[in-house]
Amino acid sequence: MITVFGYRVSWAELAWFGHRVSGLGVLFYLFMHIVETSTVLFGPEVYDAAVGIFKNLPARLGEVVLMAALVYHALNGLRVIAMDFWPGLTVYYRPLTYGVVSATIVAMIPMAFIMTRPFMPWGG
Amino acid sequence: MTAVRRPRVIYANPSRAARPRPEASGRERFWWYFMRLSGLALVILALGHMFIMHVLVELTGGEINFAFVQSRWGTPFWRIYDFLLLLLAFVHGANGTRVVIGDYVANRRARSLLIGILIAISAIWLVLGMAVIVFFDPNTAPSTGPFS
Repeated sequence: MITVFGYRVSWAELAWFGHRVSGLGVLFYLFMHIVETSTVLFGPEVYDAAVGIFKNLPARLGEVVLMAALVYHALNGLRVIAMDFWPGLTVYYRPLTYGVVSATIVAMIPMAFIMTRPFMPWGG
Repeated sequence: MTAVRRPRVIYANPSRAARPRPEASGRERFWWYFMRLSGLALVILALGHMFIMHVLVELTGGEINFAFVQSRWGTPFWRIYDFLLLLLAFVHGANGTRVVIGDYVANRRARSLLIGILIAISAIWLVLGMAVIVFFDPNTAPSTGPFS
């Protein structure tokens, strides 16, 4: 149990809340992504200008957050599916949830480095 | 002496992150299965897409621009891949939002209105996205845009 704003919150509730927030966030990005990609119909100049909006450090950091949201949503979703179809696994819901969170963090360390490298002092 | 601790299996809501499978067959049970099956496909499609675009392109020193899209959508494989990804991700996301609205909006009329707006906006965006993937022609794409 952990305490958030004075409420005792279980890991299961946090995992559930994170699944919602990450899912809604990825859908919001998908709406923008469709608009951005649809400019490809107007030719190279318009499209290259549109994707140019995302070629800076703040946008790249946003993409790192997007990637983290997607990785978490995917791994947690696999846990949900596994527990839905094999109810015996619910005994291990706590270690499985820890595993999802740890795997997300471990996967994001190298990916965050690679994604932001061109705009970092050590990249180029 | 320690008591034997029997593991407690929660059959009522095994996933503990979503909802139990609807008892009655019908529309809600269809969506329950759809979310899980499309979710499995999206683990490959969406993570694969993000890995190619944000990690592999970066590692190989490539750049996402018009020429990149031209060569990519020049092959049927990536066009079908992107079409499937768009369709599944969008329907998965829109249905997820519908479930979230249903959980937080208690007023029936407000709920129907919000879900109606969600479906209308989603349909427009989805058709726009699918049209872009289907109708983009690498050969006849204009060299200058209307805003240039």
